[in-house]
Amino acid sequence: MTSLDLSTDRPARRHSLSLSIGLALVGLNVVVAILTLFWTPYDPLNASGGRLEAPSWLHWVGTDRLGRDYLTQIMIGARTALIVGTGAVAIGASIGVTLGILAAFATRLLDDVMAATLDILIAFPTLLLAMLVVAASDSASLWSAILALGLAISAIVARLTRILAKRVLRQDYIIASRTSGTSWLGVVAWHVLPNIWPTLSVNFALQFGLAVIAEASLSYLGLGAPPPNASWGRLLQEAQGTVYTAPVGSIAPGIALVALVIGMNLFADGLRDVGDPTRRRSR
Amino acid sequence: MSALLSVQGLTVRAGGKTVVSDLSFSIGSGERMGLIGESGSGKSMTAMAITGLLPPNISVTGSIVLDGQEIVGTEDKHLNRLRGVATAVVFQEPLTALDPLMKIGKQIAEPVRRRLQREQGRASRQAVGREVLDLLDKVALPQPERIANAYPHEVSGGQRQRVAIAMALACRPKLLIADEPTTALDVTTQAEILKLLDGLVRETGMALLFISHDLPVVAEVVQRVMVLRDGIALEEGAVIDVFANPSHDYTQTLVDAARMFDEALGRTGS
Ligand SMILES: Nc1ncnc2c1ncn2[C@@H]1O[C@H](COP(=O)(O)OP(=O)(O)OP(=O)(O)O)[C@@H](O)[C@H]1O
Ligand SMILES: [Mg+2]
Repeated sequence: MTSLDLSTDRPARRHSLSLSIGLALVGLNVVVAILTLFWTPYDPLNASGGRLEAPSWLHWVGTDRLGRDYLTQIMIGARTALIVGTGAVAIGASIGVTLGILAAFATRLLDDVMAATLDILIAFPTLLLAMLVVAASDSASLWSAILALGLAISAIVARLTRILAKRVLRQDYIIASRTSGTSWLGVVAWHVLPNIWPTLSVNFALQFGLAVIAEASLSYLGLGAPPPNASWGRLLQEAQGTVYTAPVGSIAPGIALVALVIGMNLFADGLRDVGDPTRRRSR
Repeated sequence: MSALLSVQGLTVRAGGKTVVSDLSFSIGSGERMGLIGESGSGKSMTAMAITGLLPPNISVTGSIVLDGQEIVGTEDKHLNRLRGVATAVVFQEPLTALDPLMKIGKQIAEPVRRRLQREQGRASRQAVGREVLDLLDKVALPQPERIANAYPHEVSGGQRQRVAIAMALACRPKLLIADEPTTALDVTTQAEILKLLDGLVRETGMALLFISHDLPVVAEVVQRVMVLRDGIALEEGAVIDVFANPSHDYTQTLVDAARMFDEALGRTGS
């Protein structure tokens, strides 16, 4: 009878079409990525057919210049994309949210300095920033790309967090909570983070999509994951020379890339709709 | 016996303007005092100065001693120990005073948990949950379980103010500051909330600083009243004395306005 739910969980998500489609596209990607850990149609590193074969029952998307199965490489590319997106957003979120919250609490002068620094960092194109970081590390690796993209994302997240947190901190309920003895740390944990989360999570999903594109671009430019890691960007680059004779090689990884990014954006859209209980007037 | 709250020469300056000047008053334990004055007279500023929560760009001078602790110029982390223990506040606008994304039960649970922790050294989930429902019941909210699981936007304005009162009661403060707690509500709800607040304050024996611009409202709940205009105290005294023999024109206009309002409603003067 006296069951009282004091848990932090958010209310059940309302059905949203874009959320469903987004989740389906991203989910497919996740399933494929996990599958490749145990099984791929063919050996990704060795030839399993003739060179530049057209799609067939044996090779659904054909083979590359060295006779390796294309579908296998695209599937492994899904794993790379997921690792890059997740890693970059995780780094960007942890650094960015921390800095943003600190800036929101900082004294006027420190806050101004932080805001200006972030604006300058954000003015750099993400890709250029990432290229600089990758170029500065001794060897191009998946991890330096993730770190670079994560740092670029952290600047964007920090700026957004700072603005959102400042807006929340001005609200009456913050003062009300403070008058009952909530510490500043408590205010951040119970009021600021939950209240900025709906907007932040949407931004994280968008940044995930952008990170995947940026990694593909880095790989396309030869600054991404080195060969054994298949990346859609590198597949696109390798298929460049044969784009007229074997177009599937360029089209397939392109579709995979677009599907994941669109999926992530739809997911973000859906999140925006369901994230805020005050906007759910369905009752 | 020293007073629970003693304000001496309180002056508050905001943006080059003096919004409260040289204000002095005190409130003993269990005493109920009213602070009245028109909009912008510095009532809320005075209240926030007592909680020590005015933003740093607003300067506070003078002395505010609350429960033996000087507030003016004291570090925030020391003051935080007083908040919820010595004072709690009910605000004017019940919607914005509640976190829109947190269930009502959880918002009340937080101060309850802190108090149990402080008083008993432990606060089990069950004990906190029980007390939350108890509080919701005490402020006469129907179906406490449903309200506890609702978000602020899912209950009515009057119910939200009851929730805000429950939150303040959850702290069991020695002094409750009510900053125009009924202004945002319709007349019927106002009367209900006022009765509730009055009953609860008498029952628990806490002191009350009741802020309002509405004279009859103040007269109903407090013993002593102070009239404020442009941050200056015009007069102070027992409710009956101040209202029966206002020594100041400004107070007279407040009394007249209230009387005209009563007559317009067809009520006879009390
Ligand atoms: N943050 C601020 N900075 C500068 N001046 C302020 C600030 N907040 C309020 N004031 C000024 O301080 C004065 C007193 O404000 P206060 O909020 O105490 O009035 P009040 O008596 O509570 O009025 P109301 O009945 O409308 O709530 C007003 O003139 C107001 O313009
Ligand atoms: Mg006010």
